[in-house]
Order: sequence, then structure tokens, then C-alpha cells
Amino acid sequence: MKRFIALTFLLLCTNVFAEEQAEVIFKQLAPSLYQIRLIDKASGEKSSIGSGFQITSDGVIATNYHVISGYARHPEKYRIEYLDHNGQKAILSLESVDVINDLALVKREVEQEMPYFKIAQGTPTKGEELYSLGNPHDLGMIVVPGTYNGLKKESFNDRIHFTGSVNSGMSGGPVVNKFAEVVGINVATSGNQIGFLVPHGKLKALFNAYEINPPKSIPFQMMSQLNANQMNLVDTLLENEWQMKRLGQSLIPTIDVPFVRCWGESNADKSDALIMIAAANCSIEENTYISNNFFTGSLEMDFRFMDAKELSDTKFYRLYQSQIARVSAGNKAGKDDVTEFHCQHDTVTPTSHAITNKSVFCTRAYKDFPSLYDVLYLGMSVDRNRQALISHFTISGVSQESAQEFTKKFVEAVSWN
Amino acid sequence: MELIIEEINRGHKLIGRQRFSQATINIGRGYQSDIILSDPHVCPNHLTIEFDGEHWLVKDNNSINGSFLGEGKKVADGHRLSSGDVITLGKSQIRVVFPHHPVAESITLSPFEDLINLAKHPVALAANICLFALITGWLIYLGNPREVNFTQLLVPTVGTTIMLAIWPALVALISHLTKHDARAFTQLGICFVFFNLTLLSDFIEAIVKFNTSSHMPLAALITILPIAIAFCMFWLNCYVGFHMSKKKRIVVAGTLTSLLFGGSFLIQMSKQPEFTTKPKFDTTLMTPSFLFTPASSVDTFVEQSAKLFEQADKEAKEAKEKKD
Repeated sequence: MKRFIALTFLLLCTNVFAEEQAEVIFKQLAPSLYQIRLIDKASGEKSSIGSGFQITSDGVIATNYHVISGYARHPEKYRIEYLDHNGQKAILSLESVDVINDLALVKREVEQEMPYFKIAQGTPTKGEELYSLGNPHDLGMIVVPGTYNGLKKESFNDRIHFTGSVNSGMSGGPVVNKFAEVVGINVATSGNQIGFLVPHGKLKALFNAYEINPPKSIPFQMMSQLNANQMNLVDTLLENEWQMKRLGQSLIPTIDVPFVRCWGESNADKSDALIMIAAANCSIEENTYISNNFFTGSLEMDFRFMDAKELSDTKFYRLYQSQIARVSAGNKAGKDDVTEFHCQHDTVTPTSHAITNKSVFCTRAYKDFPSLYDVLYLGMSVDRNRQALISHFTISGVSQESAQEFTKKFVEAVSWN
Repeated sequence: MELIIEEINRGHKLIGRQRFSQATINIGRGYQSDIILSDPHVCPNHLTIEFDGEHWLVKDNNSINGSFLGEGKKVADGHRLSSGDVITLGKSQIRVVFPHHPVAESITLSPFEDLINLAKHPVALAANICLFALITGWLIYLGNPREVNFTQLLVPTVGTTIMLAIWPALVALISHLTKHDARAFTQLGICFVFFNLTLLSDFIEAIVKFNTSSHMPLAALITILPIAIAFCMFWLNCYVGFHMSKKKRIVVAGTLTSLLFGGSFLIQMSKQPEFTTKPKFDTTLMTPSFLFTPASSVDTFVEQSAKLFEQADKEAKEAKEKKD
């Protein structure tokens, strides 16, 4: 019993210690912490909020790109404002963005040197206690303690897995270690106690580049970042090994990289189904946010094997055709962002002649980012009487060259077993 | 001194025709008249036409509503008739013709006539309707993803067949109402021949679409086929059901065709949103035995896609210029 009491006391003690530390950290850093608001000029009201933190004495503030994306895309419609811990408001200017890592640098005017957040030199160790700061749901600045859990494996662009509540509105807020050094930036949440942070290294890189050579045009900066990222992504996809997996009687490619995840399904449990269907789907589950209704950087690969033993060929093909009704892009984009799809179709066979497909290829261009496209491909096998394979992929935000190379490799890879 | 009097309706269609050889002809609602008109706006002894040895003269017998020449307001009383004159009495009209009035040239019988008669032959008619019903039923069976029994197929099949039989019935009814020969079975026979031809053209269209790539414009050409078939059907409907000039027949058939296709095209257009994120492409699939063209290589397919990127670029550029 005594031991139990002692243990409880000890636990209470550490808890109290953690709380105290959080309080100290918060007090010390509060003047450098801001709420970032995007104000709609026409209505004069805020249209989105997030958090931000000062990283230099002369007023450079770091936040998430998605907090100020409205301004980056339509500078004529919005202005950016900050609200500091004293309730003071003033205008911010947009200095630089990293659309891939969801970071942005904004700047306030300062009259004298101000305290600011220091960026950590090293990375935290797994299990290390961290403190996330921010302004969730417009409730005022708060501190959330949590744990560093390493980098998320299923992510093409590095993200820290943080065990702690990152709520909406905390986006752009800093995550500090017990020395009050920034080790990450709040960016996303995946439900209870699972949060994601942008590693501090990305912020450092963005800031260093900004100091040497500030970007002349934000749209142009975004375009080159999107372009470099897609090249990097498609190169990684093409260089890694494509493992051939069996799906029914067919062979389908899966790419052996952790950020492409696959799922499968079949109708083997439905005894009255006329056609046996087995489906596999591989995709990158993250995408790049450009604006509210415009995402890019997605990849999806879909395969559907169909087999019917007791149907006539004609009936099988008739039902097969009715399966093709819906194919669409994997990313969200609207009229202002992209053109309509332009499509072609032909009967195509790979070099191995192992399959004959009726193939469809479609592409649409980005209106604001020349030479970036969304593409989709659909292959429908037409060489077996009562078996069929639908192979489909869609990638968004790629160059013509990347799209064509990927298409070539994909179409060559799909075949019958 | 013979005279032919035609009773005509407002559309100048013939209702009755009589030949007279006497010198005085009475026209009116009374039973003593030579031509009895049942129009309540006509007086019992409305009008008399008399031969004075040289000419035929009109004499209005002080009728309440009067008699007029043609459609106009020119009073007919005392008028000296010439062949082809139309006289309006009340709401009725008569046309007066002399025995030597010229008639239109004889029309040669169309070579279609034999074919048309073949279509109405009971055996041919039954065969055509059965063929259509069978194909329709088969298509319904093919499109159904679950097991279906005979009754489930029979109901939509018979329904479709009856629905489509409404058109020839309607044409026959109209030609009957306009004092033409109804020829209902001929209309029915013709229509089902063409319904079957439409099914055939769908099949040909599918083969062409399945075998051509998007770089061959042949598939677009093939869409003319159903339009041509519809035009021919409407033309024959007119030919069988109504006496009309060649030109008029072409105009009527053309109008019906453009109503049918233009109407459905307009409906499609109105449903189409200004901008769509859905890609549009051909998904025609047929069994391997209908694939006749050799497959392209992946390289060719990918190279050809360069054109699409160009088109998309062009569209993006135009949109951008419009915006600025």
C-alpha cells in the first residue's frame, strides 16, 4: 500500500513538473506567438485562421502555407493580418512559401528588436517530450504536450509523427522541445492524439534560401517547387523496383516504396454474382494542398480482374463494358485551376504481346502552372473471351515527360499471368 | 355545257364531286337543292349557277351570309365563272371546274412499291416484328447483371415493341383523318424494317468504334448512318400515307428527322455543364472475335499523346488570356 502511495505521488510530481515547464515555456514565448488571419477584403471578416511564430528579431514569422493559401492564390481578394498576445493587430506581407512542405514566411513591421523562436540544431529522440503551441478553434493560445514518434514512413515528403492533439487553428504553430527550440511546425491531424508536424529542417532550408535570394514572384516560386517535387516523385517511382503481383490470372505492378500503399477487395463471398471480381488499389495517400478545392501530387493505381465461367462471351463483354462507367481524376480541381480532359484511345499491346488492351489516355493542363498536368490512363483487356483486366492509374501535377514515362512503364508492366 | 362542282374543305381537300349537265344548278341547305350543304351558315336556297348559252353565271339568292369568290371579300353574285374558281358560302367552299380543266401529269409508280408491298405481307410483317422483339429481348438479357427468367425479359420486350408500334399507328391514323388511305399494316411493316435497320446500324457503329482509334475520324462519320435511316423511314411514311409532292415529302421527312435528332441533341446540350472534370472517351467493348485491327505499340500510343498535351496547353493559354 505504501509503495502504491509513493508511486502515485511520484506520478503526480512528474505531472506537475510537466505542467510547470509548459507554463514557463508558454510565458517566455508568448510575445513571439501569433494568430495569423486571412481577411476577406470585401466583407472585412476573417475567412481562415491559423497560428504563426516569429523566427527573427526583425519580424519574419513562420506559418503553414495552407493558412495563407488564399492570399498566395488571390492576393487581390485577401489580406493577411496577425493578432499578438496583447490583442494587437497589423498587416503582414507574404515573403516566401514552400507549397510542398506546407510552409510560408510572412513578415510584420517591428520598431525594435523582438524576442523570437530559435530553431533546434539536432532532431529530437524518439519518446522525447515536445510542446505544441497554437490557437485551436480561435480559443486563445494554448500549449499541448506530446511525444516525438519519429518520421512518418508512409510519407514521400518527411512528416514528424507527434502523439498529441493538434487541432484545427493550431496549424502553423511551433512545436518546441524543453529548451524552447523549434523542432517542428503543426500541420495536420489524423484524429485523436495523432498529429503531424513539418520537420524544422524544412523551415531552416526555406528561411536560408529566403535570406540569400528572396523569391520575386510567389506563383513562380510555387510552380518551380511543384515541378521539382513531381520530378523527384516520378523519378523515385520509376527508379524503385516494380514488383509484379498476381491478381487472379493477371500480373499487376506494385511499386515497392513505403509511401505507396495498397489495398485489395473481391466479391468471393457473393454466391449469386455472375462475374468474379478481384480488385487491388495502390495510392499515395497524401497530396499537396494548393487551395481549398485544388490539390495535386496524388497517385492512384487501380486494377480489377474479372472472370466469368458460366457466361457467354457476348454477355460477359456487355457487363464488362458497363463496369467502365466512371473513371475520374484522383485530385480535386475546379474550373479556375485546370482545363477539361483531352482524351485519346487505341488498341495497344506491350512489347511482350502478353495482353491486348483498349487503352485510353487523358490529360488536362493547370491554368496557373504551365507545363504541369493531371493525367489518367485506362486499359481494358480485349483478348480473352471470359476474362478481363481493367488497369488504371491517375497522377496529378506532373510534367508531360514524367507522365509519358510513367505511362510507358505502367502499360508495359501490366499483363496476363 | 357540262359543269363539275367539287365540295372542298378549308384545306382545299376534296369532300365530294358531282357532274351536272343541266343549265341551272341550285346549291343550298334545303333538300330541293342539287348540291346539299349541311353547313348551318348556308341558306336553304343559297346560290344558283346558270348557263346563259355562253357562260356560267353565279346568282346569290339574297342569302344571309352572302357568297364570295375564293377566300376574299369579292362578292360572287353576278360573277362569270371560269374553270377552277372557288366560291365560299357560309363556312363551306365549292370549286367549279369545266370538263377540259387541265390535270397534273401522271406520276409513275415508284420501284419501292413492290418492296413496300412486301413489307406488309403478313409473313414478312410477322418476321420483322419477331426479329425486332428477339433482338431487343436479347439485348435486355445481355445488359442485366443478374440471372433473369423468361417473364422478366418478356415484359420489357413486349413493352418496347408496342411502344415503337405507336408511331406507324399514329401515321396511319393521321392519313385516315386527312382522307387518305390509312394503310396501317404497310406503315407497320415499313417501320419495323427500319427499326431492325437501326439495330443493325448500332451494331456496325459498335464494330467501327471498337476497331478504330481516336485518331481516325471514321467513327464520327458512322453517326450519320442512323440519321439516314430515320430520314428514309419518315420519307416512306409520307410516301405511303399521303399524296404530296416530292419536294414536300423531302421537307417533311427532313423536318421530322431534325426534330428527332436535333431535339435529343439539344436535350443533351442543355444537360451538359459548362465545365466538367469528367473525362470523355469511347468505352465500346466487344468480344475478341470482333477485333480486326492490329494493336499499336505502347511507344506509338505514348508518342501520340503529345497532341493531347498540346491541346490542353492551348486551352489553358486561351483561358488565361481571357482572364487577364
